[in-house]
Amino acid sequence: MQFSTPVFYIVAALVIIPAVLMVMFRNLIYSAIAMIACFIGVAAVFVTLNAELLAASQLLIYVGAISILILFAIMLTRSRSGAVNLFFHRQAWMALPAAAALAVVLGAVLGTARFSAGDTPKNPATGNLASLLFNQYAFPFELASLVLLAAIIGTVLLAKKESRP
Amino acid sequence: MTSLQHYLVLAGALFSVGAWGVLARRNIIMVVMSLELMFNAVNIALVAFSNYSSAGAGRGEVFVFFVLAIAAAEVAVGLAIGIAMYRLREKLDVDELDELKG
Repeated sequence: MQFSTPVFYIVAALVIIPAVLMVMFRNLIYSAIAMIACFIGVAAVFVTLNAELLAASQLLIYVGAISILILFAIMLTRSRSGAVNLFFHRQAWMALPAAAALAVVLGAVLGTARFSAGDTPKNPATGNLASLLFNQYAFPFELASLVLLAAIIGTVLLAKKESRP
Repeated sequence: MTSLQHYLVLAGALFSVGAWGVLARRNIIMVVMSLELMFNAVNIALVAFSNYSSAGAGRGEVFVFFVLAIAAAEVAVGLAIGIAMYRLREKLDVDELDELKG
């Protein structure tokens, strides 16, 4: 499917505005909710890029799982750490110019570079993605499950009550 | 008509916002959340290349699946470190972790 430029700008605003708000909110819960809005915007970007399966995965994994994990972590650690840690620290004034410089460089390079990819979308089919994932990339796919297993074990060890010997 | 450049500039902007969050905020959970923004920016760039490239034909999307898996692992371990840190010192400020400073 082909999407027009105004649609792109609306979807881009749905990504960038919540992202900026996320960094600026002092309350962590507000930040997490802005982050969820940003993830939904990214799913919309995937839809405009004809990646419907990835948009669904984005909603399931980021909006469903990772956001809930982050909200749990905020609520588990919130009780006494309070608002003190939420304020911008003393070096924060340097962070904004540094990030702005990064944005200018990235925008200048990415906006002017010409890639062999061309400017017309090719709309790869989802079936093609499945055959790639389970034939050519089957080994990395299995390896990813091993990484997730290691992460589960490491997380349990780190967050266990008696972590110190 | 949207071109590849539109999406790449959007990805660059989102990546910069994420970098700003990592640099400006000192709460470890906030740092993890900003890292997630940067992951998403890279995912947008990969899917854009996948959609506009004729030779790549969906390979970028396969890559994004692996990024999703690694991001899930990363956020779980990062938040576990945050909870362990909170348990040890009741603070979440990453500037507090300076024992290895010479």
